[in-house]
Amino acid sequence: MDVGELQQTLDKLHQEAKGELAAAKTLDELRSVRSKYLSKTGSVGSLMGTIKDYPPQQRGEVGKTLNSANKAIQDLVTEHTDRIGSAEVAADAAASTAFDPTLPGERTRLGSVHPVTAVQWEVEAVFERLGFTIEAGPEMESDYYNFEALNIPQMHPARDLQDTFWLKNGMLLRTQTSPVQIRAMEKFGAPLRCIVPGRCFRYETIDASHENTFHQVEGLMIDRNVSIANLIAVMKLLLNEVLQREFEIRLRPGYFPFVEPGFELDIACLICNGKGCATCKRTGWLELLPCGMVHPNVLKAGGVDPNEYGGFAFGLGLTRLAMMKFGIRDIRVVNSGDLRNLVHPARWAGPVIVDKG
Amino acid sequence: MLISVNWLRDYVDIPDSLDVRALAERLTITTAEVEGVEQIQTGASGLIAARVVSVGPVEGRANLKKVELDLGGKSANVVSAAPVLRVDELVVFAPPGASTLETGKIKSTTIADLPSEGMILPGSAIGIPAADQDAIFCPPSMKPGEAIDAAMLEDWVIEIDNKSITHRPDLWGHYGIAREVAAILGKPLKPYPVADLDDLSDKKLPEIPITIDDATRCPRYSGLKMTGVRAQAAPLWMQTRLGHVGLRPIDCLVDLTNYIMADLGQPMHAFDGSRIEGIEVGLANDGETFTTLDGVERKLSGEALMIQSNRKSVALAGIMGGLESEVAEDTQTILLESANFEASGIRKTCAAIGLRTDASARFEKSLDPNNTVLSIQRFVKLASAEFPDLRLASRLSDAYPNKLAEITVEVDPKLVARTMGHPVDEKQMIDILTAIGFGVESKDGKLSVAVPSYRATKDISIQADILEEIARNVGYDNIEPRLPEVQVRHFAANPQHITERNALRAFCLGLGYNEVHLYIWYDEEWLKRLGFKPEAGPMLVNPAAAGQEQLRSSLMPGLLQAADRNRFHADAFKLCEVGTVFKEGPDSKNQSRHLGLISARRGKGADDELFATLKGDLETWAWQMLGCELQYEHAKDTATPWTHEHKTANIVANGTSIGTVSVCPLAMRRNIDEHLSAWSIAWAEINLDQLHDFRVESKPLRRVPEFPEVELDFSLLIDATSPYAAVNDNLARFDDPLLRRITYVGAYEGKSVPAGKRSLTYRVLFGSPERTLAEDDVNALKTSFEKHIGGCGYELRR
Repeated sequence: MDVGELQQTLDKLHQEAKGELAAAKTLDELRSVRSKYLSKTGSVGSLMGTIKDYPPQQRGEVGKTLNSANKAIQDLVTEHTDRIGSAEVAADAAASTAFDPTLPGERTRLGSVHPVTAVQWEVEAVFERLGFTIEAGPEMESDYYNFEALNIPQMHPARDLQDTFWLKNGMLLRTQTSPVQIRAMEKFGAPLRCIVPGRCFRYETIDASHENTFHQVEGLMIDRNVSIANLIAVMKLLLNEVLQREFEIRLRPGYFPFVEPGFELDIACLICNGKGCATCKRTGWLELLPCGMVHPNVLKAGGVDPNEYGGFAFGLGLTRLAMMKFGIRDIRVVNSGDLRNLVHPARWAGPVIVDKG
Repeated sequence: MLISVNWLRDYVDIPDSLDVRALAERLTITTAEVEGVEQIQTGASGLIAARVVSVGPVEGRANLKKVELDLGGKSANVVSAAPVLRVDELVVFAPPGASTLETGKIKSTTIADLPSEGMILPGSAIGIPAADQDAIFCPPSMKPGEAIDAAMLEDWVIEIDNKSITHRPDLWGHYGIAREVAAILGKPLKPYPVADLDDLSDKKLPEIPITIDDATRCPRYSGLKMTGVRAQAAPLWMQTRLGHVGLRPIDCLVDLTNYIMADLGQPMHAFDGSRIEGIEVGLANDGETFTTLDGVERKLSGEALMIQSNRKSVALAGIMGGLESEVAEDTQTILLESANFEASGIRKTCAAIGLRTDASARFEKSLDPNNTVLSIQRFVKLASAEFPDLRLASRLSDAYPNKLAEITVEVDPKLVARTMGHPVDEKQMIDILTAIGFGVESKDGKLSVAVPSYRATKDISIQADILEEIARNVGYDNIEPRLPEVQVRHFAANPQHITERNALRAFCLGLGYNEVHLYIWYDEEWLKRLGFKPEAGPMLVNPAAAGQEQLRSSLMPGLLQAADRNRFHADAFKLCEVGTVFKEGPDSKNQSRHLGLISARRGKGADDELFATLKGDLETWAWQMLGCELQYEHAKDTATPWTHEHKTANIVANGTSIGTVSVCPLAMRRNIDEHLSAWSIAWAEINLDQLHDFRVESKPLRRVPEFPEVELDFSLLIDATSPYAAVNDNLARFDDPLLRRITYVGAYEGKSVPAGKRSLTYRVLFGSPERTLAEDDVNALKTSFEKHIGGCGYELRR
């Protein structure tokens, strides 16, 4: 094929390509037309390989002719790429006018922790920030750790205050998390700062406000020169952080054999802000947690010298706190395993539109 | 315990201007919790005493009586509903014009066609608890027509939480509360009013012989005989006060002992003096029966402490008197007992016979032995005013073999102030302690504090006890909160806590499980429905309900019960519990912490899918929180009814078996409920205690290879019965310098796979750190791997 014939062939191919590119409706179609003409094996591309067949003096011209034909088709491809691209953009814009960006997202169900666990973690976080370690202890406990070591000997009237689940094997279900005070002292000695969240058991009749199985968190701080002022400050901090509000608190005498002095800590009633209502029996105060300065006998039982060290301890009712935080009115739902009571409907059922409680 | 404010005013000047609610609040924050404050208002006016002249029936009305009354100089006829009225007794009477809040203004009226000029008042109208329409009787010292002081009927009552005074024997009477009120108000406490027995006694009077067998059980026994008493009503002021504190007035003698119990906290007992000569305090005969004055015959053990006379039991010491020696209508001589008993002995006996009384409740608190004599002196003081013929018939006889040790506590005022975290000086400490009856001597910068006997029985013995007395009277609300200043100490993390928190985080804050808390004991009824008989485990002596004796050895029965409950309200759910399971044996080591998981979906046939996704959840958790891959071993032990005979695997992590994963067999689901058989359920139970040593180690991340790598997929047809693990072992034996990794892609059984076979697909990655692989390399590797597969006896699926 001489140069003239080559030009004619290229012109013909150009015309064909022009028609096919114009007919293409999608970028894929465009790509296959481009490949048909311009790829190595395409009708124009394959001609590139014939340059070496021409005499050396013609090769320059042939090369130019081929390159310009190649470029012309490439320009057409670019032009039609823009055409199709713009059309797709316009179609996408047209299709998007009915889109509602305010619809809720599609959720992955992540699950939920129990309300008591949620509150427990908040309490743990507060104390971790204060450098307390988090300890654990057994639920099937011995008389020694649950009573004796806590300065509650046999026949002590305080045993009446905590009706106990006894086991036939001589053990008992711990009535409080306090036995871990002794276990923690045995493990770490003094100084010591720890909290112990855990389940406790009391032999009580169950009703809307009493459960035989509930969670407490025990707190223990032992050091030189620990004072009542320190106890009040830590308790205030704890409650303000967990309840996310500033609260008035007050201490009053309370009797627990493992502390001396012992206190009951009340907070200003959450319902009436201390003005007096049915929930607080018109006193303006809610009894929240027993606490006190660790009794020397308890320090001794834990192997700590009461002449050198002192400290404070408290027992916060986690179940009670969870009920306050989550507005649970009937304590029986806590151990019911009924997800309708334990999981907020928004997590369980999806986005809530109307919620009348 | 109920406290009458009028009563307190006998001992301390409470300003009339002081709001009783404010006083109650001060008591709460300084002394003991006040549970409530009640104002007693009767609105009484114009009441008088009236003498019954005659009592006759009202025709056709059995519940009414026609009564003629002497009003002192004039008489009145009334119709009364009072069930017991005797001629010559004095009653509380409201003539026309008198009124109370309960009855309104009294008018002359006609009842059952008879004129009725006034009303014999029931106790309820003047705040005295009495049965039905019982009249209130006046003591013989009153005269017909005598006006009744209405002011004593109006009162405030403060209710103190008994639990807040278990450690304070001194607070079980009004005098003790008055002492606290006096300290709170900064007023003096008046001396306790008692009779000087020397004034009344003839020195030749006999001693009551008192023998105490065991001075530990009975440290002190005091007694006094007196004559000239008779059955009559107590004075109205006393009846009113008893009424206000919830005690029903009965008869002057009984009311006197009750009054002193509520006054000083010391229980007393009056025996009929004609039937008792000497007193012995000793143990009951084992198996002895004794009838207490409530008419109940009680069988006693040899540990019960008895009051005996001539070795015949006459009272259950500190608990209740005997029926036989009770004061009767015709009693003229009494033997008054006021004793001190060991608290724990009283508690034991009460528990053994199932009887607690107002007296035993007080003895259980370790009473002050000095109150035995004091209460007898108080009795004589009050009784002489009521019985003009009262004479002592014995000397005050007092056996006190076990003297209360005097306690003196050394107190360091600086340490007290430091422990309070509040500046208190020595003088303030001395003032506070003195006001509540402590003796204080200051020397060399230390305080020597003598504890009064009413605080020394058990309550106070160490410096911390004195600190409490000072701090509560300073007022805890006056202490400025201050965060502690401490030395930093590092504590090794508690592995149990970390493991549990991580498990809950993974499963309940990511993998879609909802956490539940369930009871730690089995429910027998439910176990029956499951068809499960657990091995012996710890048993409760006092279960919450019958059939809930045994502590759980697995979390699954509870979780299955929760699943059965939730299936009514959801079509699919995943439950998680972290809790304790137990083994038999008296050691706290016989318990471990488990993780239980259930994945349930409505509809049959999804068991295998749930089983697979549950395992996927476990693997995600293990990778994130334990830092390891899980392996599964086909389980042979399928003993529990919720474990599938075939679809069960032991879960292995780093070579340790940590739990089980399975699906609920159809048979068990059908046993529970027909509807449950239309559900698919998979479950897993993990022993978290075995995971304490697992550490997530940071594994080095891989660089993107410099030269491209080649991925080839191979599907193997294997016998459906060969386990995955064995195939893996075989594939792992393939070795080639260009092999980088073999990973599992998935399993398939279905259309293009012959019956009895399963297709397992693996992805093999080849590459070299030095060059790009050529086509020839890849072909050679493919052939070599296929040859290895063939060599293992597996067929390649094309």
